[in-house]
Amino acid sequence: MNKADTLSVWTAYVPSADAPWNLRRVVHLHRRVVFGACWSEIQQDLAEGPESAVSRIMNGTVRAEGVPEGFEQLAGVIGAAAVDSGSVERLKAWWLYRCLFSPHPLEERLTLMWHNHFATSNLKVNDLRLMKQQNDTLRKHALSPFGVMLRDIVHDPALLEWLDATSNRVGKPNENLARELMELFTLGIGNYSEDDVKEAAKALTGWTVRQNEFRNLESLHDEGEKTILSRTGNFDGDDLIDILIDEPAVARRLAWRLTNEFFGTGVVDDSALSELAEGLRTHNLDIHWGTQMILRSQLFFSNTNINSRVCDPVTFLIAPLRAIECWRKPPGTLILAEWIERMGQDLFSPPNVGGWAGGKNWLSTRTVVARANYASALAEGRLANPIQPLDLQKVFERHVGADRHQQIRALDQILFGGSTEEAILNIDGAVEKSSDINSALRQATTLLLTQTKAQLH
Amino acid sequence: MNTRRKFLQQSALVSLSPWIPAILPHSLQAAESKKDDRILVVVQLDGGNDGLNTVIPFADENYAKYRRELGVPKQDVLKLTDDIGLHPAMKPAAELFQDGRLTIVQGVGYPNPDRSHFRSMAIWQHARLAEREHDSIGWLGRAADTIHSTDAAAPDSIYVGEDAIPVALRGRRANAVSIFREDDLKLANPFATQHFGADADDLSAYVTRTLTRSFNVARQFHDADTVANSESLQYPNSKLASQLRLATRMIKLNGGTRVYYVSQSGYDTHAVQSNTHRQLLREFSGALQVFLNDLRDSQLEERVVVLAFSEFGRRVQENGSAGTDHGAAGPVFLAGSAVQGGLIGEHPSLTDLDAGDLKMSIDFRQIYATLLDEWLSIPSINVLDDSFDRLQLIKS
Repeated sequence: MNKADTLSVWTAYVPSADAPWNLRRVVHLHRRVVFGACWSEIQQDLAEGPESAVSRIMNGTVRAEGVPEGFEQLAGVIGAAAVDSGSVERLKAWWLYRCLFSPHPLEERLTLMWHNHFATSNLKVNDLRLMKQQNDTLRKHALSPFGVMLRDIVHDPALLEWLDATSNRVGKPNENLARELMELFTLGIGNYSEDDVKEAAKALTGWTVRQNEFRNLESLHDEGEKTILSRTGNFDGDDLIDILIDEPAVARRLAWRLTNEFFGTGVVDDSALSELAEGLRTHNLDIHWGTQMILRSQLFFSNTNINSRVCDPVTFLIAPLRAIECWRKPPGTLILAEWIERMGQDLFSPPNVGGWAGGKNWLSTRTVVARANYASALAEGRLANPIQPLDLQKVFERHVGADRHQQIRALDQILFGGSTEEAILNIDGAVEKSSDINSALRQATTLLLTQTKAQLH
Repeated sequence: MNTRRKFLQQSALVSLSPWIPAILPHSLQAAESKKDDRILVVVQLDGGNDGLNTVIPFADENYAKYRRELGVPKQDVLKLTDDIGLHPAMKPAAELFQDGRLTIVQGVGYPNPDRSHFRSMAIWQHARLAEREHDSIGWLGRAADTIHSTDAAAPDSIYVGEDAIPVALRGRRANAVSIFREDDLKLANPFATQHFGADADDLSAYVTRTLTRSFNVARQFHDADTVANSESLQYPNSKLASQLRLATRMIKLNGGTRVYYVSQSGYDTHAVQSNTHRQLLREFSGALQVFLNDLRDSQLEERVVVLAFSEFGRRVQENGSAGTDHGAAGPVFLAGSAVQGGLIGEHPSLTDLDAGDLKMSIDFRQIYATLLDEWLSIPSINVLDDSFDRLQLIKS
């Protein structure tokens, strides 16, 4: 390893006095990347160190508990039934079921990221089979080389419908797909010209959807010469993807997408981004490589990166459920689907082709009130129908014994990686003195989740 | 019930700790003094409205030439002048125009038009052309920053909609809130909020401010629930109409908020646009008319000006799929009894085009400057960093 490498922010994290491997960092890893964790998972990571903690996330063995027997088969049945029902609510519920119970939550985290990158809305596509098929493709390639992902997704019927490829034909070009392919999916603004968009639209003519399947109809294809990004030829859609994937700007956009997912604003500077982009370029734009690089890096575990992002709705929804080991009394996923909409992330209906803006945008008056009300609903057992009062005492007694104060502290530790004793005393002081431990823990859950730090991760 | 009340009492007991109950702040009176101020309501037409099929130069033979498939037949245009008219779905807007309650500014844009939705919308919302100046602080946020008082109970602006608060409303201190449905603001519990460090600039302080503000607004709205909805008119059944209906309701609460913002999406009509566009224009103009009439019935219309804009117009030549691709200049609407009424500026030429797009003749920042200086009484130079020629938009 040469000197430049050792100085890089992408060097592997090694615990130090300044950045010790402690509860705060374990919870940071889980909350930022895999929708939180439960007590035993955190204890295991604490004992075994960062290398195996990140390995478990990467290889899909991170969830020690609460993964149903035969998960994939169950999820398959639920997904198929959702499509057959024709109800997008049920499809949202299916995805949230996966986020909550999948043994490989990183895959779900990245599927969400790709849903935001290739943001497609059922409001226009209006076909749940196609929306689910796209979601399965995003998941299948969540950690693939980006070129493989891109090729499949640009042949995806839902995406083609969404971006009007179906009406792009020789002599009658429609620029929608060509523009977003360059602006949003691959190059980023400023790395192509208006003429490139027009020419790319011609290359994409002939790509369409028939009977819900991708079709390349030669009769609709523009056979003329096109000049795209200084290359000239009778290009078709596949040639266009080859041209795009070769552009250096793609590596940078991919690096931006990944760092945007895993770091707070301003944590990754320009040279770090370039370095990651260069690494991605020499590793075939491999998303797995990039993600692993990020999760193992000292920058990821640096103090500036901890609690530096506004917690996204899905994490806000799922993390407390994992923390209280909800699989003992599972919530209704259709009810969760209603809450995720109120919190501003209506799955399968992103606001526009740019996806959800995220960050501070997650917090509006409406969504803040929804988060607070979700906390109440969770604590009061209203996520199930009929209402199922939570037995939090039973969960936490096993971990830290019978003392109420210790149990509140443990709850705070799993949710946020621990607070000062003063903060715990405040919570403890704010719940009713007379209440039994279960009721106190429920009140504490509500209070903890309405705090500032609950909105960060 | 009992438990809830006790919980509230308990929360109040620990108010010396960092937990402060989110009771409406003492300063509701502070808002009272501002309550009769003038109000701006922005309607954002999302996706790039086909301005050429909205405000139609029906007498120009080139119109029918460029719009073979999509052109509105001359006899169907709602004629405003000898050569300009509105799309037939815009009868309510035509009525407003005849009443002198609608101004149409033609050929509005900015130099070097950008055809990306995001970039162009960012330009309109920031009122800044250069990307490096797009700092997520928008023109109305900056305007509010110049007059923001930290103890005002009323938010500076309210976004009625389900998406994120638009950049246009965001400021450094400006207090923008959002609501979509009335029950969005019903809190299940009397939440305590943290209050410390709220003036710091870091993310955590920002979140604390947002939480505090949101819970306060929720409570304020809830407390004011007794002000029954007194609208006399039936609002049409559209999303935009219900957003404007909620805005009216809040304007009637008279809390002191001076800017409201709504948006209507769907204008990105690349394919088979005829029916979609007709429906959008019908919803837009219908909602606008009922909104203004409702305000008029409550003697509030003279305090309200509506600004409606889109991030760009569409290409003059229709595309091959009976739609239109991204273009440049387009019309902007101003409505209310305080506006001057009539057409402002010339319709852009259909022969002198810029890469197939209409050329702009009026910079949108001229409209902003006029509204800031003459309507909101906030010096535009402090908001737009430059001075722009004002237009005859507001009655003197």
